[in-house]
Amino acid sequence: MVGVTMKSWSALVAAGFLLAAPASVGDTAPLGVYTPAERRHWAFQPIKDVAPPTFTDAAAKAWIRTPVDTFVLASLRGAKLSPAPEADRATLIRRVSYDLTGLPPTPAEIAAFVADRSPKAYENLVERLLASPHYGEQWARHWLDVVRFAESDGYEYDTHRPDAYRFRDYVIAAFNQDKPYDEFVREQLAGDEIDPKSNELLVASGFNRLGPLRKNQGNQEVASSRTEVLTEMTNIVGGAFLGVTVGCARCHDHKFDPIRQSDYYRLQGYFAQTDTNDVIVATPEQQAAYRATVTPIEAEMRKLRGSMRRASEEEKGKILTRLEELDEKMPLPLTAMYAVKNNTAGMTQIHLLGRGDYRNKGPKVGMRPLGILLPDGTEELPLETSKPRLKLAQWITDPGNPLTARVMANRVWGYHFGAGLVSTPNDFGRMGTRATHPALLDWLSRRFIAGGWHVKDLHRVMMLSSTYRQASRSPNEKGYAAIDASNKLLWKWNRRRLEAEEIRDTMLAVAGRLNLKAGGPSVMTSIDPELIKDLKRPQYWVVTKDRTEHDRRTIYLIYKRNLVLPFMQVFDSPDTLLSCARREQSTHAPQALELLNGKLSNELAVELAKRLKTERTSAAARIDYAWRLASGRPPNPKEKALAQAYLDDPDPAAATEFALSLFNSNAFLYVN
Amino acid sequence: MEHIRYARNRRDFLTQCFCGVGALGYSSLMAQEKRLSPLAPKPSHFEAKAKAIIFLFQAGGPSHLETFDPKPLLNKLHGEKRPDTFGKVEYQNVNQNSRLLGTKRTFARYGKSGLEVSDLLPHQAEIVDDLCVIRSMHGDMVVHSAAQYQLMSGRVIPGFPSMGSWMAYGLGTESDSLPAYVVMPDPNGAPEAGQPMYTNGFLPAAYQPALFRAGQRPVLNLELPKGITMQRRRKTVDFIRELNEANLLGEDPEFSARISAYDTAFKMQTDAPEIFDVSNEPQETLDLYGVGKPETDDYGRRCLLARRMVERGVRFVCVVAGGGGAETEWDAHSDIEKNHKRMASLTDKPTAALVKDLKRRGLLDSTIVMWGGEFGRSPESERGSGRDHHNTGFTMWLAGGGFQGGMAYGATDDIGLKATVDPVHFRDLHATILNQMGLSQDQLSVLHQGRRERLTEVHGEILKKIIRA
Repeated sequence: MVGVTMKSWSALVAAGFLLAAPASVGDTAPLGVYTPAERRHWAFQPIKDVAPPTFTDAAAKAWIRTPVDTFVLASLRGAKLSPAPEADRATLIRRVSYDLTGLPPTPAEIAAFVADRSPKAYENLVERLLASPHYGEQWARHWLDVVRFAESDGYEYDTHRPDAYRFRDYVIAAFNQDKPYDEFVREQLAGDEIDPKSNELLVASGFNRLGPLRKNQGNQEVASSRTEVLTEMTNIVGGAFLGVTVGCARCHDHKFDPIRQSDYYRLQGYFAQTDTNDVIVATPEQQAAYRATVTPIEAEMRKLRGSMRRASEEEKGKILTRLEELDEKMPLPLTAMYAVKNNTAGMTQIHLLGRGDYRNKGPKVGMRPLGILLPDGTEELPLETSKPRLKLAQWITDPGNPLTARVMANRVWGYHFGAGLVSTPNDFGRMGTRATHPALLDWLSRRFIAGGWHVKDLHRVMMLSSTYRQASRSPNEKGYAAIDASNKLLWKWNRRRLEAEEIRDTMLAVAGRLNLKAGGPSVMTSIDPELIKDLKRPQYWVVTKDRTEHDRRTIYLIYKRNLVLPFMQVFDSPDTLLSCARREQSTHAPQALELLNGKLSNELAVELAKRLKTERTSAAARIDYAWRLASGRPPNPKEKALAQAYLDDPDPAAATEFALSLFNSNAFLYVN
Repeated sequence: MEHIRYARNRRDFLTQCFCGVGALGYSSLMAQEKRLSPLAPKPSHFEAKAKAIIFLFQAGGPSHLETFDPKPLLNKLHGEKRPDTFGKVEYQNVNQNSRLLGTKRTFARYGKSGLEVSDLLPHQAEIVDDLCVIRSMHGDMVVHSAAQYQLMSGRVIPGFPSMGSWMAYGLGTESDSLPAYVVMPDPNGAPEAGQPMYTNGFLPAAYQPALFRAGQRPVLNLELPKGITMQRRRKTVDFIRELNEANLLGEDPEFSARISAYDTAFKMQTDAPEIFDVSNEPQETLDLYGVGKPETDDYGRRCLLARRMVERGVRFVCVVAGGGGAETEWDAHSDIEKNHKRMASLTDKPTAALVKDLKRRGLLDSTIVMWGGEFGRSPESERGSGRDHHNTGFTMWLAGGGFQGGMAYGATDDIGLKATVDPVHFRDLHATILNQMGLSQDQLSVLHQGRRERLTEVHGEILKKIIRA
């Protein structure tokens, strides 16, 4: 049967993950039937075992470095295009440094690489940066976008999650250790089920709690928060791991993809038992102090709530007001790990919900993976099944699952080449785009699985290719653009603008102020008081006392849902409310205003000007150094002349404004 | 503010700025900018009735029962339990034991149309003939944040583009120096849904709102850093342009767009401060809006600014009344009289002034003014004299932009519990204002993660009866 040829199905069945349960009786939703046409969709087909194309001519042989190149060259030749020449060394080291670490190479690193005569110079560079602790910081950022990581609840109270940083640090460490991706997926979905004693895995399981969370006073039934919580847990599995927009099927059968509403709720079934679990890590002293503060408050609250039943409307008002006052008095929660656990006794019955509304309960369902990837009639498991999320994770990471490896390989490709082979990384369905190089995607995915799901291996095979090393401008630019305007066939490398974090980190690095400390609680910098006013609870914004912390990499600044920093916002940083598979790269006037007049760029321009003055003595040397710092290359003669003319000015502000100009220049803001 | 200097005017700035550009003249530069900007004006899908929208967002949920929806039966049933015949609704706080609360306001008929308005809003009573009062609004959520998201973006969860962002995305801006979409928050603080309710969501950052705040720095990053003169900055921007042009290899739309963004930025820097300077408005106009009077100064000034922005081509302006907590919003849980009298005293006069002023300037026909909150308030009492949130039937009004004036549309039942005649969901309202702006709710969509997302989520119904022929 098409689409269900996973090799290890029988193993899963034998292990009791599938088909094991007796058919449910009563008002259970139908299991779903899928037409052959639905099953034929490319993304549901098994990953093909493709051999890279072969070439016999000398030109091809000279160009091809990794199998990636053979696929790309075959398509290019099919369209009568040829690849761009290799980028120069200074360009390459800057590109590789940003792609792997999000940081610029230092002038010394650039000089050493340019002068390196080893035939393995480039390979060594890639290896060095893959081993850098900053690699994990850059790639964690990508993943955190996908899983909409943030450090507050969002909605009305936007309550802080002061310990959310532990998940961020877990992700950074996972990338740095090159944790196999299948393990990474299992730990996030089911860390608590795998080993409830492991702190690392408990923190990883906090993945299930990353979504925005609505909390309300008053009638909790009205808040319908359990439905929303389950929805957040379910939707992210589709988008992040499977590239399937399951969320569309919450209210009705998916309009475009073969996802029935019953599939959606059966997927949700895996989370029916999932409950929050704050594992306290505070010291006994902290716990005692906390209890001392909280006990009287809670006692009064209990008493007040008890008296509510008999209270008149007038008294009720007073009671509610007092309850709100008491709530405000509650101290920040004890330091904890945000994990999940299964609460089988308090499990939520999962029903199909008419229009997704928790009040319109339809037939009941158990748990089952997406029907389109199963043989017709595959039974569901009961909601009480033990270790439900681990079962889901094992299905997702089964080597026979046609989606998981493709989706991740495609993400990695997208971050290296500016667009995924499938340019809609969270949507491999019918509304998503088809792969530009389907055979290459399958080859990469197979290799990814066969090599043990190592993401660093994907980097190597992509970055060592001639395809990746191409210049970002082709000698046939105009002609080729007429044939393939969006460079789908990869006749050059796609230039990219630095992302919000990269711009800030680079300004700090170039100014000599970057604090490279890794990990730990997130930093709150001093921001415009007008911004704090926009918060429902301004008291949450507590500026980090140690000023040196303010100069840390952007990934260590707090990501608060109701206060995205304006600097981040203008440069297309995602809002952390929905999964972000691909950041926009927009160009608009407020970006210019931010970099020209913003506090951060101006403060750091002063620092850069100072640095240039103290570290170089002549005007010419300063200009040369400034360019090497800011754009990773020496200035060209035109730039040199312009800079000399600009700096030949008695105005004491000229040096600072010169530094600011560099932050505003395309040579700084773009990676070639 | 003495260290803040702006170029005298844009033309002055640009001509001085670009003398070194050579063959490219001023006008061709301007033309190029228009083309490259993501906010360049775009043609509507069909003929538009209106060009701009001013949304007077009454945060917290003003009571329909104290403003535009008179319910004599409610006063008769005051102190009783709600009769079962009216059906059930779910509340945040009010429960089955709560008693109905009559209103202390009195209603009278006003204008040629004879529309009823309560004595809470004497100034809005004067403009009833320009208002289309929708008495049958309903939304899906009874808690602030979710209801506010639905009002703003059509979705009960955050992360989706707001009305203003959709308008900017669909139509761009007529102004070459002001943002397409402006939000003027209440200086008391944010309403419950916070910043995410105004955002561009997954639309590019170019369509994000510009927040014009009260206080020393209404717009972030518009003023020059301390110690930097305009003359110096002029040289710097020239220098940046020259550096970027020195690296241009042939045609490069993205880099050209970046170069032009700097020019627009400067125009914003010169034009935006001018818009805040209301000193050239005649005293009569200032008085009309209540500028200078303690209660109305803030909101009046913001309403006046809204008019000035619309005059200059801004597409969508949101003026927020309420924020920073129940007391300073329309969120009258405990004492409806006290809360609503206060909110009305701040907002009623400026609200009416805006409609009058737009009308006499001939701008009302092309400008939609929309008034309302995320829900109304419960017929039942909360805490004795207050009212709870209420999403199943409440009032909003529209003026100008091709809508009928002096009209009441739809109705709630006899105690104002549920919208029973011609119910209007937020999505119907969205579909209708899009329609007046010449935009089709289906065409104005973006493919996002497998779905064609649009403001109305599922199809909204255009309220044909309220549109002037």
